[in-house]
Amino acid sequence: MKNVQREDIHIISRHSNLQEQSVDKALKENVYNNKTAWQQFFRLLFLSLGVGFTVAGIVFFFAYNWADLHKFAKIGLTEGLLIAATALVFLPRISDTTRNIILTGASVLTGVLFAVYGQIYQTGANAYDFFLAWTIFVTLWTWVSKFPPLWLLYLVLVNTTFILYYQQVANHWSPAFMYALLFIMNTGVLIGTMIFARRKTPDWFLHTVALAATTYATIGVVSGIFGKSQIAFPFLILATVVLFALGIWHGRKTRNGFYLSVIPFSIVIMLSALLIKISDGEMMLLLVSGFIITSVTLIIKNLIHLQRKRIHENERTGN
Amino acid sequence: MKTKEQVTELLTHFRHAGDQTMEFDEEAILAAYQKNKSSQSLAIKILSIFGGLLASLAFTGFLFVSGIAKSEEVLLGLGIISIIGSLWMNQKQDKIIMDTIRVSAFLMGFTLLGVGLAELDTNESIICSVFIMLSCISLILTRNYILSFVSVLILNGSIITLLICNNAYNLIPIYTAVLALATTYFLFKEARIITKIRKRAGSYDPVRAGLVCALLSALILTSQSGIYPVSPAYFWLCAVIMIAAILRLTPELSGILEITTTGHKIMIYLFVVLSLLPTVPSPAISGALLVMLLSFLRNYKTGFVLGVLTFIYAVCHYYYDLSFTLLTKSMLLGATGLLFLIIYLYTHKKLMPDENV
Repeated sequence: MKNVQREDIHIISRHSNLQEQSVDKALKENVYNNKTAWQQFFRLLFLSLGVGFTVAGIVFFFAYNWADLHKFAKIGLTEGLLIAATALVFLPRISDTTRNIILTGASVLTGVLFAVYGQIYQTGANAYDFFLAWTIFVTLWTWVSKFPPLWLLYLVLVNTTFILYYQQVANHWSPAFMYALLFIMNTGVLIGTMIFARRKTPDWFLHTVALAATTYATIGVVSGIFGKSQIAFPFLILATVVLFALGIWHGRKTRNGFYLSVIPFSIVIMLSALLIKISDGEMMLLLVSGFIITSVTLIIKNLIHLQRKRIHENERTGN
Repeated sequence: MKTKEQVTELLTHFRHAGDQTMEFDEEAILAAYQKNKSSQSLAIKILSIFGGLLASLAFTGFLFVSGIAKSEEVLLGLGIISIIGSLWMNQKQDKIIMDTIRVSAFLMGFTLLGVGLAELDTNESIICSVFIMLSCISLILTRNYILSFVSVLILNGSIITLLICNNAYNLIPIYTAVLALATTYFLFKEARIITKIRKRAGSYDPVRAGLVCALLSALILTSQSGIYPVSPAYFWLCAVIMIAAILRLTPELSGILEITTTGHKIMIYLFVVLSLLPTVPSPAISGALLVMLLSFLRNYKTGFVLGVLTFIYAVCHYYYDLSFTLLTKSMLLGATGLLFLIIYLYTHKKLMPDENV
């Protein structure tokens, strides 16, 4: 019989005299990870730890202030390591995952190269142009590898560059404009990935990007409600309304509970903030408390309804 | 949810799988599936907890702003009523959509009780002891997923606060080690536990989630050794217990990976001990690794992801805190990295090439 889940074993055990050995056997055969999964786990664990620690060692090596080392030697050494790591990617007998993990290591080394440059020419470790250069020079690898962890690193770099640019150069931008920009950019990546690379992209990547985008919208709108008037705020509201509506539509269409819980919960927080902005008296706090309970309960009810619908559909199609 | 036919097929499968003497209550099983038909997804659980937390904050704010909560007696009364009410609601109406109200009332109850007792100048140890007692009672009484999970977290938080309030900092690593042993037993002996507590087997999942979260939070606390004074010997003892727990998993792992030769088994034991020995000053590393391995062993995905995140945090913190020069740290990190790469190259032929991330 296929598809025996942990829940089935627990329920049957609860209402039967099934012995410990039988339960253990059923769990091992149907629920617990098998030999193949463990082999894959150890391969990835050793490789990730190996590449991660080695790259961290290199980062620390260059973070050490080598006063006696000539600047050409410093940059030459880093570039040498970078070339060596990239050359490894071209080895013919390695798997795609190994290749991508090495490429991710090389992308971190690119950051080390610019950090060494910054150390020599005193540009500062948090200068936005350091992150901008790092982002630009790993773009091609990120695009070629199509490796979700590298894409995530790339997105972190893009977001960091934007935030630092706002803090260091464009400080005339309003916070609402900045949040709107980050929200639209991350949502754009999410939509682009869904359209062009949905099948190859794992859910954890999409959910992480969606969560980041929703967090920007939530913080932006809440700080806009409590902060002083900003021209970009209506624009942020408009973007939030349109993209959230799109997200809910997608969630309903694909029966994906993630979008149907994260987006409505963000709206609940925004509306609660608006209510408290209108009045922070006792009755409003009571109203907000009731509003949160009612709305979250409705969201959960909708999620349960969706779950049941999916189960019935699966039963009908025999999956 | 499964249909009647699917349940019958499932029971036949279990009989054929080896337990010919198996007796079961088909009606009760079908009823359990019916009751469980909207089994909670992770999204629903997280929504219930955060929704409950926000609502309880707003309601507590209302009580204070309106002046209702000015008197200590009212605070204590409302706190106790909220806790009892949330547990009672659970007995009467065990629907998932009621979870937000239950969690909200439960958390608000503990908050009001804590503030009420503090206003009465009650000793902090007594407040913690009351919380420990109440969370234990709640854990025994409730059969609700979220309330069981939150009770374990309150129990853990109260024990840690009790230790901190009494300046018993040395006991924090000891408590963490005990928690690690309890979590290991709980996950490792899943079959034994659910057959021993048959009627309460529904509590297994939330208690497991609570234990893993409690252990990880205790491990993060042990990695903040600079904040409170602890004798290093206690950290070492804690780490040794963590390593011993990892060694306890090794025979089962060897079985799964079909490693039968004694030489290989000894090599694995030696590798585990030697690679974890340098991390003895930071039990958070071996502890997070223990959670990762245990969760992967039992295919508990949430625990595994949380374990990986804590492991990365613990390793970064460990190297950041080391009082060596950057060059020495670089050597240590580079050597560790190379060691893992050599192990990878040595073992990779034995491990399947078929993989995808």
